[in-house]
Amino acid sequence: MTAYPVLTTTTFLPLAGAALIMLLGSDRVVRWAALATTVATFAASLPLYVRFDKGLTALQFVESAEWIPSMDIAYGMGVDGISLPFIFLATLLSVLCIGASWSAIRTRVREFYAALLVAETAMIGLFAASNLFLFFIFWELMLVPVFLLIGVWGGPGRVYAAVKFLIFTLSGSVLMLVGMIAIYRTCGTLDFMGLAHARASLQHGQQAWLFAAFLAAFAVKVPMFPVHTWLPNAHTEAPTAGSVILAGILLKMGAYGFLRVSLPILPQGVQLFLKPMLIVSAVAIVWGAYVTLVQTDVKRLIAFSSVSHMGFVTLGIFTLNRSGVEGAILQMINHGIISAALFLCVGMIYERTHTREIKDYGGVGKIAPVYSTLLALFCLAAAGTPGLNSFVGEFLIIGGAFKTQAWLGGMAVWGVALGTAYLIWLYYRVVMGETNSRLVGLKLELNAREVATLAPLALLALCLGLYPECVLSYLRAPVAQLLAPGVTP
Amino acid sequence: MTDLTLLISELILAGMALALILVARRTQKTPVAAVGTVFAALAAALTSAWILSGGSGTGFGGMIIVDGYSQFFKVLIAATLALVTLLSVRSLEEIPRGEYHALLLLAATGMMLAVSAHDLLPLYLGLELMTLCSYILVGIRIAKPTSNEAAVKYFLLGSFASALLVYGISLTYGATGTTDFTAIASALSGAGQGRNVLLLLAIGLVAAGLAFKIAAVPLHAWAPDAYEGASAPVAAFLAAGSKAVGLAALGRVCLVAYGSETQLLSLILAGFAGLSIIVGSIIALSQTDMKRMLAYSSISHAGYALLGLIAGTPEGTSATMMYAFFYVFMTLGTFGVVIALGERGEKLDGYRGLAAQRAGTALLMLIFLMSLTGIPPTAGFAAKFVVILSVVRSGHIALAVLAVACSVVSAFFYMRVAVFMYMNEPQEPAPSRFPVALSAALAVAALVTLIGGISPGSLAAWAVSP
Repeated sequence: MTAYPVLTTTTFLPLAGAALIMLLGSDRVVRWAALATTVATFAASLPLYVRFDKGLTALQFVESAEWIPSMDIAYGMGVDGISLPFIFLATLLSVLCIGASWSAIRTRVREFYAALLVAETAMIGLFAASNLFLFFIFWELMLVPVFLLIGVWGGPGRVYAAVKFLIFTLSGSVLMLVGMIAIYRTCGTLDFMGLAHARASLQHGQQAWLFAAFLAAFAVKVPMFPVHTWLPNAHTEAPTAGSVILAGILLKMGAYGFLRVSLPILPQGVQLFLKPMLIVSAVAIVWGAYVTLVQTDVKRLIAFSSVSHMGFVTLGIFTLNRSGVEGAILQMINHGIISAALFLCVGMIYERTHTREIKDYGGVGKIAPVYSTLLALFCLAAAGTPGLNSFVGEFLIIGGAFKTQAWLGGMAVWGVALGTAYLIWLYYRVVMGETNSRLVGLKLELNAREVATLAPLALLALCLGLYPECVLSYLRAPVAQLLAPGVTP
Repeated sequence: MTDLTLLISELILAGMALALILVARRTQKTPVAAVGTVFAALAAALTSAWILSGGSGTGFGGMIIVDGYSQFFKVLIAATLALVTLLSVRSLEEIPRGEYHALLLLAATGMMLAVSAHDLLPLYLGLELMTLCSYILVGIRIAKPTSNEAAVKYFLLGSFASALLVYGISLTYGATGTTDFTAIASALSGAGQGRNVLLLLAIGLVAAGLAFKIAAVPLHAWAPDAYEGASAPVAAFLAAGSKAVGLAALGRVCLVAYGSETQLLSLILAGFAGLSIIVGSIIALSQTDMKRMLAYSSISHAGYALLGLIAGTPEGTSATMMYAFFYVFMTLGTFGVVIALGERGEKLDGYRGLAAQRAGTALLMLIFLMSLTGIPPTAGFAAKFVVILSVVRSGHIALAVLAVACSVVSAFFYMRVAVFMYMNEPQEPAPSRFPVALSAALAVAALVTLIGGISPGSLAAWAVSP
């Protein structure tokens, strides 16, 4: 492969940046240093996309070093077609987070950017880890920075939201710790590749409870119904950058866990839990959409829409057919782009109006045409309009669902219809109609920095909608490998 | 190797203690005692490591042993002593300095003797020396009624526990005719599977006596009062040192002396561990005094550390050794922040808004709290990982789940401090600058906590069970 450790550099560059930032003085310098770090990280990750071989199923850019020799645990990095798009998403969204926080964060600036950069290291590392131990370390490393991001720089209910987030995710992940230790004890390794071979030594009954242990961690992060209740609080109270990280990356970590751990290592456990998983996903789609309909707070509305959209993702994963799984991964990327964009849009206007209540808005279109156009694009994308990115993902997932069970496809279609309803209705109430008297005199139009922050996401939404192959081509080989032996019924 | 060279570390500490008492009057207002203690601790640590390079050996008719296990803990004890001395620099105004440091040194001597014991009698001797000095240290702030009360409570309960231990020792002697660990082991394995009630009682009593030293439930009642009444550095010394020594003694006694009674021991230890974890983490939730909260936290950590011993295997004992090592540094670090903040640090509310006033101190505290909760990449996670691995290996899955579930409970009260530090407004003026000694101690503790989390393998090579 390559002598230059691309993955390690990409992963730990933000951490180094965070350490540097803690030593810097003025807020201005800190902002620029943070921006430089994230841009450098993005640049450092570019060789990954250039030199990646889409035909291979094995991990690429593999790095391995001795770490804890007495326990035979190694430091291992590597990416395949499933994890690569997420590294792209994580590095890109981090840059945009800096852009979104430029003027919004005025207190304790240094710590804010340090926490953001530590979170970036955790996000990239999680997707680049090639063994379960490292995966777990990064999984947990994410916890404290996000806890601080929500709790220190969040809205009025931030402390409650932060503690709830911490306790929910920690409860899940400690069970994953026990599961990981049990796997290590039985298989003698924690390397993902090694585990895929050693999984035969896991008994049927053991697989069932191991799946349950990992499910506890993944379901909380996704979040699946009914352990999603931390999400509305956390997303609503977090500062914009925190919401973007939560919606864009953190929610994907759980679904990625299913793909990286549950499906390849615990196939019998997956079979056992298949039905409940599908039902819970369907419930999340429809129930989540209904709850979204009645929200009166813009940010909360988008947060609840994530429950419904992530329902699509878990539904796609557990259809266990190619269309469903590829659609699910594509939809994870799509949701990362769109929900991040929507949170950015909400954050930008909140910075000016200081209200999140839908009833305080109205007629924004007349004052801020550029903003309204971009918001329209993202709302349509989220609603699954053909030509924009979500359409492809949802289409593939629904196709997969119909192949598994017709009623699941029906539920998913119903969810799409409701999704269109709540998004268009939101757009109607915020942008159309007479200008709300509260907004008169406010300068709502976006400035160049904000347009530059949203533009990459808008472009991505269009590109992936018109040519989804640019992500799907990465997925083909690894998904085929994932579904080949013993997993599909 | 003559017998006395085996005890050279103990001799250094005891010698320094006697010297300090001799010159106590002359050095009352000077830092001589503190400097001397730190140097003695460093010398003891170095000699402990140096003795081992000559290989392990026994002396005094087989009563004292020097091996990797004993020297591991001796280095740990010396480090504890040095750090506690550095942490004490602020709280020396109203107490006799020479005597204070001499008592610390003598307590550490007792600890070292206990971890080197290869016979129940020197073990008891060492533990008693440690505990007697601790009683006085807890009550050394004569003017404070709470301090006196704590010392009396600690003394009464401690005497009771010592009685249990001595009773257990005498019953063991009655059942096997010896107090030497190897001889006990061979007598027990020779006795076959015949159940001897006397022996069961003896093992139970010895285990209970040692469980008191690590403050395991149900012998934990002394810890919250003693920690609250004692000055914070003494509380830190008890939390770190007493626990490490109790674990070391339990480890050797369980593995070497009573090693053949695995089933009974794992039952007793699992009971202590499970109860300690549950009681410690649940009662800590309602504490508003920082030192009391840390006392309950130390009780639950005693439970976690015991998890390694349940298996009764060398790997399990190594896990407990690693746990003890990392626990000492993270708990000393936490107490270090408490001490650094003075009066303000002793109540939970004092942490409100600390991050806005002293970002560096708050960050250190956050690292120690993460470590106590067991969140990577800190040493606390590595420690928790190895003990839970050991308990899963021994087949107690339910206990493992209980342990991690309680670590979520513990996240509530550890992270509440983080919430106060980061998410509340300051209510008190910013703390004054810390003395250099304090900052140095905090830096060492934080460094070990972080390096231990990032590269736990470096310690694992040293943690060899007897």
